[in-house]
Amino acid sequence: MTSTAAVLAQQGDLLVKPEVEWVAITPLLVLVGGSLLLLTLSALTTRRPRRGTYALFTVLTCAGAIIASVALWDRVQDPARGEFTALVGALTIDGFTVFFSVLIALSIALAALVADDYLRREDLEGPELYALMLLSGAGGIVMAMANDLIVVFLGLEILSIALYVMAGMHLRRVESQESAIKYFVLGAFSSAFLLYGIALVYGATGSTNLSEIAAFLSQNVLESEGLLLAGFALLLVGLGFKVAAVPFHVWTPDVYQGAPSPVTAFMASASKAAAFAALLRVFFSAFSNHASDWRPIIWVLAVLTMVVGAVLAVVQRDVKRMLAYSSINHAGFSLVAVHANTERGVAGALFYLLAYAFMVLGSFAVVTLVGRRGDAAHDVDDYRGLARERPVLALAFTVFLLSQAGVPLTAGFFAKFYVIGAAAEAESYALAVIAMVTAVISAFLYLRIIVTMYFAGDEAEGDAATGRHRVAIPFGAGVSLAAAVAFTLLIGILPGLVADFARDAVPVLLSAAP
Amino acid sequence: MPGRLVGDLVLTAPAPLRRSAALLALLGLHAVLAGAAPVLGRRLGPRVLLVCALAPAATVAWALARAGGVLDGRPVTEVRPWVGELGVELAFRLDGFSLLMVALVSGIGVPVFVYAWRYFAPRPDIGRFAGLLTAFAGAMLGVVLTDNLLVLYVCWELTSITSYLLIGFDDTKAPARAAALQALLITGAGGLAMLAGFVLLGQAAGTYTFSEILADPPTGTTVGIAAALVLAGAFTKSAQVPFHSWLPGAMAAPTPVSAYLHSATMVKAGVYLIARFAPALAPVVGWWRPVVVSVGVVTMLVGGLAALRQHDVKLLLAHGTVSQLGFLVALFGAGWEEATFAAAALLLAHGLFKATLFMTVGIVDHAAHTRDLRQLSGLHATLRPVAVVAVIATASMAGLPPFLGFVAKEAGLEALLHEGSSATLVLVGIVAGSALTVAYGARYVWGAFATKPGRAGAPMAATPVEPPGAAILAPAVVLTVATVLLGAVPALADPLVEGAATSLDPRVEGVHLALWHGITVALGLSVLAVTVGVALFVGRDRMARLQAALPRTSSGTEVYQATLTATLRLADRVTSVVQSGSLPRYLQVALVTLLVLPGTALLSGPGLPDDLAIAESPLQVVVAALVVGAALAAARSRRRFAAVLCLGGVGYGVAVLFVIQGAPDLALTQLLVETLAVVIFVLVLRHLPERFSETSRRLSRLSRAAVSAGVGTFVAAFALIAGAARQEPAVSGEHLARALPDGGGRNVVNVILVDFRGLDTMGEITVLAVAALGIASLVLSGRSERTAGLAAHDPDEPAPATEADGPVGAVSSAGGDRLG
Repeated sequence: MTSTAAVLAQQGDLLVKPEVEWVAITPLLVLVGGSLLLLTLSALTTRRPRRGTYALFTVLTCAGAIIASVALWDRVQDPARGEFTALVGALTIDGFTVFFSVLIALSIALAALVADDYLRREDLEGPELYALMLLSGAGGIVMAMANDLIVVFLGLEILSIALYVMAGMHLRRVESQESAIKYFVLGAFSSAFLLYGIALVYGATGSTNLSEIAAFLSQNVLESEGLLLAGFALLLVGLGFKVAAVPFHVWTPDVYQGAPSPVTAFMASASKAAAFAALLRVFFSAFSNHASDWRPIIWVLAVLTMVVGAVLAVVQRDVKRMLAYSSINHAGFSLVAVHANTERGVAGALFYLLAYAFMVLGSFAVVTLVGRRGDAAHDVDDYRGLARERPVLALAFTVFLLSQAGVPLTAGFFAKFYVIGAAAEAESYALAVIAMVTAVISAFLYLRIIVTMYFAGDEAEGDAATGRHRVAIPFGAGVSLAAAVAFTLLIGILPGLVADFARDAVPVLLSAAP
Repeated sequence: MPGRLVGDLVLTAPAPLRRSAALLALLGLHAVLAGAAPVLGRRLGPRVLLVCALAPAATVAWALARAGGVLDGRPVTEVRPWVGELGVELAFRLDGFSLLMVALVSGIGVPVFVYAWRYFAPRPDIGRFAGLLTAFAGAMLGVVLTDNLLVLYVCWELTSITSYLLIGFDDTKAPARAAALQALLITGAGGLAMLAGFVLLGQAAGTYTFSEILADPPTGTTVGIAAALVLAGAFTKSAQVPFHSWLPGAMAAPTPVSAYLHSATMVKAGVYLIARFAPALAPVVGWWRPVVVSVGVVTMLVGGLAALRQHDVKLLLAHGTVSQLGFLVALFGAGWEEATFAAAALLLAHGLFKATLFMTVGIVDHAAHTRDLRQLSGLHATLRPVAVVAVIATASMAGLPPFLGFVAKEAGLEALLHEGSSATLVLVGIVAGSALTVAYGARYVWGAFATKPGRAGAPMAATPVEPPGAAILAPAVVLTVATVLLGAVPALADPLVEGAATSLDPRVEGVHLALWHGITVALGLSVLAVTVGVALFVGRDRMARLQAALPRTSSGTEVYQATLTATLRLADRVTSVVQSGSLPRYLQVALVTLLVLPGTALLSGPGLPDDLAIAESPLQVVVAALVVGAALAAARSRRRFAAVLCLGGVGYGVAVLFVIQGAPDLALTQLLVETLAVVIFVLVLRHLPERFSETSRRLSRLSRAAVSAGVGTFVAAFALIAGAARQEPAVSGEHLARALPDGGGRNVVNVILVDFRGLDTMGEITVLAVAALGIASLVLSGRSERTAGLAAHDPDEPAPATEADGPVGAVSSAGGDRLG
């Protein structure tokens, strides 16, 4: 007995208790806590709450996360205190972390507002979607703050598993179920690739901690780079799935189309941004001195992604699919910024992701409304004459589409300009030109939708006669749309605000924890 | 901001810069009026156009006030910060050339607004029209005034969008919509290419300030690419071959828009850009001069020939615009100083006569309700004042003295003659183009106003007309007076044109316009052009037959349509191949990528370990063969149940391999997992068809087999190589050494689970317990809610999701599956 006690006492000394800086992870805690609270409370109350309660709760949670992030921002931007690592070097708290916390929290809030009426309309009312969205967003934040490949993987899984369920949430749409299965199967593969990649990188460098990997790679020359290269490639495959880079994009159109529209909005904004956050953290921060190895792969991925996204979008008749392909094209643009591998490039990618989040959230909000009950009216023809029926809605959609096309005075213009500028600065002229060519191709697609909405006087009467359901704009979606339009135009007219934010949010790599 | 001047100007005129907030205020005025017009339109009706005319009028007044200083080489500038981070600032600059453009944009803008006021009958959306037209004028003003490439791009795109809305203003007419879309697609695409060009140029030069880049143009390959992209923007905007198709289509717009679009704005934006860049880039970029000049000349000829074929007089004029734009591009694009000077004069002349001509077409259309020259007859008598104005404008276009068009064209021919042999081919092309201009000019006057022969040789009856008011003709008369006055006394236009050309190219200084140069070669060429032109017109029937007999070259619109169709078809085909919606195919794509990317990386890796043994005992070979056999059987099986059993066989075989290797506990775990998996499979299989659906084709089966074999090989090689890559000693040695002394156990695995990693195990158990509790409660709650729904169904059938299925229960069960 005594010997056991002695062993235990001895081991007590051996056990290193991790130092937890709770302040550092407040945005994360707020989201997770909010999600758990929401589930618990809704399980404990028997009465159905007033309409909009869940959405309101979600928005308030996100507001809390944003406030917590702002407090962190002040701390990390303060030169006296600066960035720091938390949880024994597993997390980095810097401007980058805060940037993505804000971006993801905003996306959740806007998507939740759209989901509010959607769920009621589709008879799916309940707290699950909101709770999952908050959890998934928390996973995204984990990915953004990860300073360790294993943490990246953890974040990715938290993000993805919630998304698989959310994609299949619409019980009466077969497409929704199908999309969830496809997403799950392909997503599981991508997770496996990512894990393989992590294992190989660990094998090559002896650590999964990004700081330590970077330190190792800067101090040692590898005898043979095969393992490391294979690790890079597998990591890129895993993350490429999540950002929907070609050729790992195949799930995107089916899943975007099948998933409930508010979930698609969340996927295209928050989930894509989180995947890019991880990509930037890992490749820009940790593998920067091996850039000549991975930049060519990113180059190919970027070109394929932009071209395939733009060309395939053009032939779609289903607006959700069109936006899915166009999201692939936008991912390609962000990859162009990643490829630059400069501070300006990263700032450009951040700017692009934030700007894109608003346009795509707004776009899918419109799609949600026009989809009407059943979430099925997504054909281009369903938008015919929308400008006459719902001028404000059509105008908002026009703003989002023009912004996606990169028309001046909208957020999309400066986003594209920032990225192209970064590519030109990094002397990737071919990439810059290809990017613009694909922008030209996809502009056609956006214009086609706009034209359908505005210039369709002839057939509009015929449709009205058949007694089509009128599109309603419920309050929550209205707020979400107004916010998205306001941000899209604000960033388009005064891009300096976001540009400064993005510039100060370039990730830093802190030296390895002792 | 000292030093912000066109480079050489600094040498010739070290003038102080003058700053003015009025520049921004004027653009603001356009914006405010554009925003207010829809509201005002409801109260004022068409008179709102007069209110909106205040914006261009104020611009003209301001420009006049500043003209003296600007023409002396002292530009007015204004810089406000916008996006410092990206080097974008609201920089504006009024130099000589901008002044000329302002004179066109706003100076012709005022008459166009007045014309539009009389042109439109009261209609509810007149306010929207006025707003769009004002916004369009403001955007165009921004293009010619800004000194920042990105602001220029912003304004450029704004002109594209506003013109799109103006062309498609009658949005119930399908042709108008199609024309508007075509215009927007072509100019928008060109604009985006131009943006890429601007970025490349800006990065190469280190600044986005237009005047600084022109003063000190960067060199290198990048600049060549940038120049090509910028030209793509300029050519699309200025309707140069092969992008010219949208401009004739754009005449679907209401006539005031056409008058504005074809004369002073939109199409002149591209010319403006070429004019600005040519002196700087022509010497730096080798191919610039031949390409730009030949595109211009070809456009001039193509447009002229097309104009001769038209029966719609408005369409005729639209093709004429294409031709004239080609002329302008050829002159400006060369970057020769005298040609630049002549082009500046032609720019002014073209603005004046083309606006007038479109106005007369609009009046004819309104009065006679047709624009078909086969139906119009005798209008020279019934619409005499209109006919007079049209004849003068046409004469100026055809280059007849004593009008401004003649003065400008003479200057152009002179300039080309002075360039000597290098310009001979250009000269021939331009004389031919001028002859065509004479011919289609005559065709227009004859077509719109002449009395034509009828069926039986007797003259055709005069087309009935409603007499137009004097007010609608007034703007055209004003512009015609300018054409006559500036042509007869070129000294009036000289300072403006010279100032404009000098600001583009300082070498211009000292060149002057003149009506009469004496008997020169240029005059001879003019006479030749007119003679041939008249001959072409007189022999128009023969000409028409000749054109009909020639093999038809595809028109621009057909090229546009074909491009569009081809893009769609390509995308369609690609989609059907890569996006079939089939999960197996998606997986194949992902797996092939896996083979290609990390697979190649792995090949360059450390290679297979040297001490590789095929087998350590014969038993292993036997079991391995069984495993392989079971795997193949699973893949080939047609029945789901058999496949699952074969899969189980693979698992059990691996367990046996573990036993042979001396790891009975591992084997036990494997057995348990396999058994559980088979049981779960069987439970699920109850709900699935007995057989797999037949795989479609042999080819797809083969490709699947190939991919599977490849991935299998990859994974096996991967495992071997990764295992061989170990450099540090394995941690297992220490586990073995410390298991007994530290953990007090002989079974290392157990010690690891409960001792070395005891905390992990506890955590896992906790998670499992919580998950189990959660699943149990969900199953229970789901059952109570479902009892009603299930009573109606066979319990073996999967319950279809009906309205009765509470969303909470069903969704939670999905979540529960994941947790498990």
